[in-house]
Amino acid sequence: MRLIAPLARRLLRLIAVLGIVALAAFGLMQASPVDPVDAYLGPQLAQVSPEQRALIAERWGADQPAAQQFGLWLGNLLRGELGWSRVYNAPVSEVIGTRFLASLPLLASAWLGATLFGFILGVVAGTREDGWADRWIRRYAYTLASTPTFWLAILALLLFSVALGWTPVCCAGPVGMTRDEVGLASRLHHLLLPALTLSLLGVAQITLHTRARMLELMRSDVALHAFAQGASRREVAWRHGARHACLPALTLAFASLGELFGGSILVEQVFAYPGLGRATVEAGLRSDIPLLLAIALFTALFVSAGNALADGLYRLIDPRLREVRT
Amino acid sequence: MAAATLVAPLAFGATAAHAEPSLVLAIGGEPSEGFDPLLGWGHYGHPLFQSTLLSRDADLATQPELARDWTLSDDRLRWTLTLRDDATFSDGTPLTAKDVAFTFNAAARAGGRADLSVLASADALDDHRVQLSLTEPRITFVDTLYTLGIVPDADRDNGYHDGYGRAPLGSGPYRLVEWQEGEQLIVERNPYYHGDTPPFQRLVFQFTGEDTTLASANAGRLQLAAIPPALAAQPPAGMRRVAMRSVDNRGILFPMQPARGEVSDSGAPIGNDVTADPAIRHAVNLAIDRELLVEVALHGFGQPAYGPADGLPWSDAAERVDDGDLQAAAERLDAAGWQLQGDGLRRRDGQAAGFRLTYPAGDTTRQLLAESVAELLRPLGIAVEPTGRHWDEIRREALHQDAILFGWGSHSPQEIYYLYHSQHAGQDYYNSGLYANPTVDAHLEAAQSAASFDASLPHWRAAQWDGEAGYGVRGDAAWAWLVNLEHLYFVDDCLDLGELGIAPHGHGWPITANLLEWQWQCDG
Repeated sequence: MRLIAPLARRLLRLIAVLGIVALAAFGLMQASPVDPVDAYLGPQLAQVSPEQRALIAERWGADQPAAQQFGLWLGNLLRGELGWSRVYNAPVSEVIGTRFLASLPLLASAWLGATLFGFILGVVAGTREDGWADRWIRRYAYTLASTPTFWLAILALLLFSVALGWTPVCCAGPVGMTRDEVGLASRLHHLLLPALTLSLLGVAQITLHTRARMLELMRSDVALHAFAQGASRREVAWRHGARHACLPALTLAFASLGELFGGSILVEQVFAYPGLGRATVEAGLRSDIPLLLAIALFTALFVSAGNALADGLYRLIDPRLREVRT
Repeated sequence: MAAATLVAPLAFGATAAHAEPSLVLAIGGEPSEGFDPLLGWGHYGHPLFQSTLLSRDADLATQPELARDWTLSDDRLRWTLTLRDDATFSDGTPLTAKDVAFTFNAAARAGGRADLSVLASADALDDHRVQLSLTEPRITFVDTLYTLGIVPDADRDNGYHDGYGRAPLGSGPYRLVEWQEGEQLIVERNPYYHGDTPPFQRLVFQFTGEDTTLASANAGRLQLAAIPPALAAQPPAGMRRVAMRSVDNRGILFPMQPARGEVSDSGAPIGNDVTADPAIRHAVNLAIDRELLVEVALHGFGQPAYGPADGLPWSDAAERVDDGDLQAAAERLDAAGWQLQGDGLRRRDGQAAGFRLTYPAGDTTRQLLAESVAELLRPLGIAVEPTGRHWDEIRREALHQDAILFGWGSHSPQEIYYLYHSQHAGQDYYNSGLYANPTVDAHLEAAQSAASFDASLPHWRAAQWDGEAGYGVRGDAAWAWLVNLEHLYFVDDCLDLGELGIAPHGHGWPITANLLEWQWQCDG
């Protein structure tokens, strides 16, 4: 019984967040100067009659007042219908489903890589303050933190794909081969550079926060006690420090899901990787309201779920949080 | 899994080295909606998966395709076409008049890029004859006969459905193997194709950005790549540069009416006192050095433009200006009372000879053109103010009161009708300068109600200049057309592209219009 109330509260909050996200996204789309019919026709503008323009707007419902469009969309949503994508001429749910599946390996490997790598670097740096390892890791983290993702992606592409030829220049698979013909090794080969670039995005933050928490612990009474008993710095760091420091790392890792998603838009653009990120760009440029709204909701849900998961994991890791309930 | 990885590339390599090689093309233009002709797929060039009723050769002369015989009724309202009887879809089922009627009726309602708003109805008279009825005489309806790919009737088992764009079934030379959205399209020969066997067994269209395309071309992985002019200086080893002529034009639209304080339906102000004077428009046309513009703005890859459809049959071949002639331009302005003042600017009754030249911000080619035009007109005493604006701002503010740098160009004279007929004056982007000349209107209408497409051609040309009036430079000079772009491709030395026609606006798919004439010239 005790569980139900907080769960319900969380759920209500989630619904409110989703509602606000939908409304804000819709408002921004309405304020956007992009005329969806112009964007759709492009240079064919002067070959299509005024009657045909009207027919296109009618097919999309773009000729109706904004409030009515939103109401219609909301009604469909409540019935479980996400609508029809204008850009892809397919059900929005299908577009998001296939695109997210394509993005998932990229997002998952980048996220896992960033969290693990960032955490290990943070612990190593925090073990001995101002040691050579700490100084180099800090420099590395500051450099990364101030580097724009797309720039890093272009540099990586130029170096590894064009100059050295180690990795492919684009896409999720080799040219001229159907999906069935592409093996796992080839898939991973194509995933390598985008995932690596994207994972670097999250490393710096996690490293610096983990390091700060480690420093705090290494100066604490707990550490002093352990040193007095003859433990080495490394033993103290891994036995006591790591467990303390993994809480901020976890929070950051889950909170950075949104950032990760944003970064994937840029990385997918640079590497021509056909995921949800590229669909988002298309939807925005061509004013595909149903698709963009659904992606906004999906992202909000994704980030909220990440935060909820982080809360749950705290209780598992830190016994002090569990005792509060009893 | 590992074994499959190793085997697959070898198998593909074997196909590539076969006597009938596969081609890898990077020409962009992925249709995000899929390959659905009812929504406009195939509008540029060949629909690939589907076939059309008629086709056009490099000179745009009409050739039979699915239809072997066609007539237009005397009242110009009914097309009757007889189909060939050996056409089948790529699953082996026959294509009949019912499929054609369905395609036209459905496309008219679909609300996509294919514009069939003039179609009243399409009816199958029997298995091989179809009748298309129009609501008014419009000869440019013939465009849809060239471009609309025929899809199977929805009533059939294998018929048209919502997901057709991702699983296209047609009677064209190729059929779909796999479309990896955002990456590539793989197609293979359709064994049931009624025409000559296509020369290539397999085609791969790679959908990559400019940089990636160039990197792939340099790595020797492409046989054909669309390349922007700025990157086209040095073709990679084993490839040559091919420049395809086009009517992908850029020109200056002039507001034709003086400013009387009127506004259009959308609230945009109408009229410009300077460009409303024919002397100004003629002087601009005379003074601009178009060859120079090609060098400066297009890296030399283009031709001077004198009309909206240079080189196409509905454009007057005599439409030329001996341009770059400041002397003649100055005389024209002097005669009209625009006097050169001490500050180097011409004035008439206190009105300075100056206007804003608006271009869409972010389009560097148009920006270069606008700035070069301003420089070229300065010595003449005309002050042009190049102004970059967003399309939205152009629509709200500039559309009917600024000179605007537009780019059009299509394989249909319908565009000329939209740009110059007074019926479309002030309607969005169509005739946004509000040009109106009853003689031109009459020629355009005569063209639309001609007995055949060939018979309409003299009327289209007369609208440009009939000896006394016209929209062209000798007449009202409603535009100052500047340049036609050349579309640039890197092409494998072994690939012979045959005779390329003149491409419309749009770099990429149009080059595939004569795909079936391409040949591989090397062995092995």
